[in-house]
Amino acid sequence: MKKYKLSDGILDVAPVKSRNWARLLIYLLLLIVAIGQLFPLIWLLDFSLAKDGELFGPKILIWPSNPQFENYKVAWVDGKIPQYLFNSIIVNVISVSLTVLFSVMMSYAFTRMQWKLKNFCLTIVLLGMMIPIHATLLPNFSSFRVLGISDSFLGLIIPYIGITLPMGTFLMTGFIKSIPVSIEESILIDGGGIFHLIIHAIFPLAKPAVITVVIMTFFTTWNDFIMAATYLASDKYRTLPFAVYNFAGQYASRYAVQFAVMTLVALPSLILYMILNEQITKGITIGAIKG
Amino acid sequence: MRFSSKSLVFLLALTLILSAGNSFKVAGANKVTIKFFSNLPDRTAGQGRLEQLLIENYMKANPHVEVKVEALQDEPYKQKFRVYTAGNQLPDLFMVWGQPAFFDPIMKGGYAAELNRNDYKDYGFFPGSLDGFSMNGKLYGLARNTDLMVLYYNEKLFKDNGIQVPTDYDQLVTAVKAFRKLGITPIAQNGRDSWVLNILYQDLVIKESGDQSLIYKAIDQKEKFAYHKHLLAAAQDLEELVKIGIFQDSFIAADYGAARNLFGQEMAAMFYMGSWETGLAVDENFSASFRNNVSVVAFPGMKGQGKGRTTDMMGWFGGGYAVSSSSPVKEEAIKLINYIMAPENWAKNAWQLGLVIPGQKYDQFMTGNENKLQLQISKILNKATSFSGTPWNDAATPGFKVDSQTIIQEFAAGMKDPAKFLEACDQAARKAKQ
Repeated sequence: MKKYKLSDGILDVAPVKSRNWARLLIYLLLLIVAIGQLFPLIWLLDFSLAKDGELFGPKILIWPSNPQFENYKVAWVDGKIPQYLFNSIIVNVISVSLTVLFSVMMSYAFTRMQWKLKNFCLTIVLLGMMIPIHATLLPNFSSFRVLGISDSFLGLIIPYIGITLPMGTFLMTGFIKSIPVSIEESILIDGGGIFHLIIHAIFPLAKPAVITVVIMTFFTTWNDFIMAATYLASDKYRTLPFAVYNFAGQYASRYAVQFAVMTLVALPSLILYMILNEQITKGITIGAIKG
Repeated sequence: MRFSSKSLVFLLALTLILSAGNSFKVAGANKVTIKFFSNLPDRTAGQGRLEQLLIENYMKANPHVEVKVEALQDEPYKQKFRVYTAGNQLPDLFMVWGQPAFFDPIMKGGYAAELNRNDYKDYGFFPGSLDGFSMNGKLYGLARNTDLMVLYYNEKLFKDNGIQVPTDYDQLVTAVKAFRKLGITPIAQNGRDSWVLNILYQDLVIKESGDQSLIYKAIDQKEKFAYHKHLLAAAQDLEELVKIGIFQDSFIAADYGAARNLFGQEMAAMFYMGSWETGLAVDENFSASFRNNVSVVAFPGMKGQGKGRTTDMMGWFGGGYAVSSSSPVKEEAIKLINYIMAPENWAKNAWQLGLVIPGQKYDQFMTGNENKLQLQISKILNKATSFSGTPWNDAATPGFKVDSQTIIQEFAAGMKDPAKFLEACDQAARKAKQ
């Protein structure tokens, strides 16, 4: 039986009560999803305050009667977090900036400029997406040795750019294609040069795609361990993911401290996500449609 | 998101500076740099701390030497090791496993420098400890530790429930059934690591046959896994043990830490693990009750003629060090390896700190302060009548290691019956021989 309600002179067909139910259901569903998303973080935090011996017991979460804040101190000092963080920031800032810069400039050349072998070159760049990282480790390692850039920041930045650039170019070409040419034409008529055009027109217009590339590059390079482990040998260049391994024994490890390290390492990504939350969602969805 | 040309220039300049900074390496006059590749990334605890300590002492005594340590955990270590060998650019001194699956290709390929056997006459290495590090009579590496498979158990759980600590296989089965009835996990097992399952199977083969060489003959295909009654009997034993619930539920998903903690939290009665776990008796992470009650016995043997006894043991010499044959500072690297492995350094400290059982004689380093587990394992070691050598999964090629570990995991998970398991073993062995 349908219920009708008259409000402000308009007949409302949908009964008020059932609409509340639907909303409640949605909230409930969202709550479950939110808990599912947040639980690993809570779990991480929880374990990082426990003792090694208390972990992996029958309880999923342990409320430590005696929270081991000591774990964080050990993680910070013995895990060499400040030094690794500094290295990670240097490597990431440079890799991300250069990837963005190159992908925008290359994509512009691939979509707007007319030149021989254009499509061939684009295909070559995009082929990079097909090559698994592991296949590149050995040849890169040998070439870097010969070039004298193994075990340096540069020896890590170059492969990072190499591995992220194809995807970045793929997203950017798709996006730049959708920008109307008339804007560029008007800039050229007004006497603007090519770099002026890219910096003042393409960059701001392609902002959602740029942000997508930034995020994807950042997460790839921030979390990478295998490339860093292969190309670096000295402790002074090591990046954050190594910190966890500083507490790995031959058999058993110092697990609680490792949880503390992981909490600290995850923190920058988390904070970044909170700040850029809206941009990230926008960037990823737009990128997805254009891609 | 505006990019000014200034920031662009700055960025490129920064890249240049960073890359250039690398080429300004000042070479000291007589300074020698030794690159040291280690599998112990934790330099502030356990064996890694001891290794680091010895290196620092050596640098203090030899100011002209600088040792640069690169440490990665086992899997990343092996990965990078492959990269190094492929480029023939191994560090000067590196950690090796004295097992055919790992060290044979290195020795055959000429990557390791030959060491002078006479240098180590007074080092007190146990007989056989250097076999895995030798080829054609030439010595290429030194063993660090003795690894012995034993059964740690919780005295209190046995006593309180009136269960007898097993001294033979039948008693083990009885104990397992009794603990299961009480809802206590009999043996904590890290099935995800699979190598413990391989070792347990080999232990059962030894106990069924009394023949330490049988499983190696099968790998060499001089015997067939599928047709040998002892190899079949051992597989049936393992199947039976799993069926009566010897391991915790979901043991296949448990890793090392999970299994160790299950035992440490007094929720499992036993822990089948190597002699490197003597530290359990003093681990502050566990309760005092556990520390006082943890004890150890040898894995029980079988009753009857022609069967393996409790004193026929799973034991081997795993990790050690070697020097690169292409090292520009080979002589200095050999001096360093000799210093680290000198009995008063590695063996003495590793024993007295309760880290491991050394690969060298350590009687002279007994202080009376040893913990209970150390002394018990020493006794077990002294009573042992035979040792297995390298665990079978490590005894052939790297490919065989992967295959045999996958097969045993599937078998323990109930995906294969004994016959299928043995057939798969034969297949893997044939593949390894090709």
